[in-house]
Amino acid sequence: MEQLIEMYLQLQPIDIIKVILWGLAAAISFSFSIGNARVWTSISLGFFLIFFSQAYHMNPWAISYYKISAFHNIIGTVAVMVITHGFLEYYVFCRTFEISGKKVIVYLSTLLLLAASGAFLFINPTPSPNTIRNIKMIENAIWVFLSLMNLELIRKIYLAIKDSTISKAFIAFGVVFLCIFLWKGAELYLQIFQWDRDWQDIIAVMTDEVSDIDKYPLRVAFSETVRKYAGVASSVSVGGTFIYIYRLLR
Amino acid sequence: MFLLPKGNPLFENLAATKLRLPEVTSKLNASGFTGYASFVFNTATIILVFESGKLVSTFLEEKNGNRLTGLEAMSALTELMVASDSGSLNVFRLSRDLTMCIHALLQGEILYRAQELKLIDIKSLLEKIRTEQLNGCLRIYTEERSAMIFYKEGAPLGFFHDGSQDIETSSSESQKIASLPGAKIDLFSTQGVEELMSMDLLEVVNIQKLWDSSMSAHQSELTRLDQKRAEREQKEANLKLAILEEQVKTIVVEYVGKVGRGIVDKELNDLGGNEAFRKDDQVARLLVAIERSARLLISTTAIKQMLEKLSAAIATAKSEI
Repeated sequence: MEQLIEMYLQLQPIDIIKVILWGLAAAISFSFSIGNARVWTSISLGFFLIFFSQAYHMNPWAISYYKISAFHNIIGTVAVMVITHGFLEYYVFCRTFEISGKKVIVYLSTLLLLAASGAFLFINPTPSPNTIRNIKMIENAIWVFLSLMNLELIRKIYLAIKDSTISKAFIAFGVVFLCIFLWKGAELYLQIFQWDRDWQDIIAVMTDEVSDIDKYPLRVAFSETVRKYAGVASSVSVGGTFIYIYRLLR
Repeated sequence: MFLLPKGNPLFENLAATKLRLPEVTSKLNASGFTGYASFVFNTATIILVFESGKLVSTFLEEKNGNRLTGLEAMSALTELMVASDSGSLNVFRLSRDLTMCIHALLQGEILYRAQELKLIDIKSLLEKIRTEQLNGCLRIYTEERSAMIFYKEGAPLGFFHDGSQDIETSSSESQKIASLPGAKIDLFSTQGVEELMSMDLLEVVNIQKLWDSSMSAHQSELTRLDQKRAEREQKEANLKLAILEEQVKTIVVEYVGKVGRGIVDKELNDLGGNEAFRKDDQVARLLVAIERSARLLISTTAIKQMLEKLSAAIATAKSEI
């Protein structure tokens, strides 16, 4: 117990704030989804999944449970897919004014996707740290790609509704996804060139491979800085954005 | 229209528009009626002269002075009876001789027309009437007043003047008018009663057919007018619906932004166009749909205000459609 308390005490306050802000975004977007079109349901569910994913990584023993750890990376991937679905539906609404579909489909589809991912992990051998790192890399690649796609969707949504009350919130969303792009992009960059912490840990204990990380200290340091601050900026901007939208739509 | 002696009134002020001309003429014919029937409408007066049930003359005079006789007058009468909003029928029984004189007045041969009295020898004229045993009517008149003297075989039957109801035996009023400056005369003659009896317009003119034709034409006209009115009303309603649609769009745009126009367009289209404004349930569905879209764009407070404004605008417009 004392060990657990000590490990929690080692947590950075900024990490706790980040998780709280992701949770706040999820909670506010969920409140929008009540009595509203399923656009907000997708976005809210996505932020809840990010919240779960981020919260899990605060768990001191997160890395010890490989399957669960891998599952939470998959949750993170599903999260951005669901959020993108929400923005895509919002864009469709702005172009066609069509609001269709049932919320339950969003919930069930997400649940099915997560169940299938869980089953995939369950029937396969326990993932090694290297496999988990690969899953993280896929997660980051998807995040980077979908962040760019969301930036484009947000730009188009903003142009369509720029004289509406909520339009400025989409500028804020643009800032959010720019931060997420930098955060996940920096992580992906480090992973692609094997300069990330996970790879360093892997090669330190499991392989004879050597890393060229020492040759590029500036790039690594810059990427680490971007990853760190963009991550914080993502959570802060997402929290701020939802508080702003809440005030706009109150 | 000059006045005619009333004789013995059989019917007065019957609603002409509720009567059927074939039935009226048929009854007068069957009863061997002698006298005249006067149809008075806002635009014209029609006189039908009967002699022992036979229709011997028809005469129509419009307010503007136009005159028609015979078939044309009958045709105009049927049209007026079926198409007029109001009109009255008066039936007066007269003696056969007087009826003959009325016929002369209306459709007789004109021997003198607007002849100034000072230019003729009235005594010679009266002598001529007597010696030639004329049947007819001598009308003496000025701009303001008129009098008539009816003759049978050259002998005066009686005198009739403006303001009197019936034939009089005194010639004093006629003499007074004749002595007025600018007095003129008309002299109409006709055949004798027996000759008149030989003609019957009811045998010549198929009143029933004329009536049916007028009814049919009137019905067609009514149908055409109904269609035109319906079209006009539809146009007016469409215009009002278009104005309401624009009003709704303006309100939604005011709250939601320019995207609001598209929202209203789409939702109205889904409901089958702006005709949806006519039905309460459709209006309710439209407002729900607009609210659902607006929830993605504006605040709850603004939505509430917008819906109140929309409901008021639609309710006001609906009361006028």
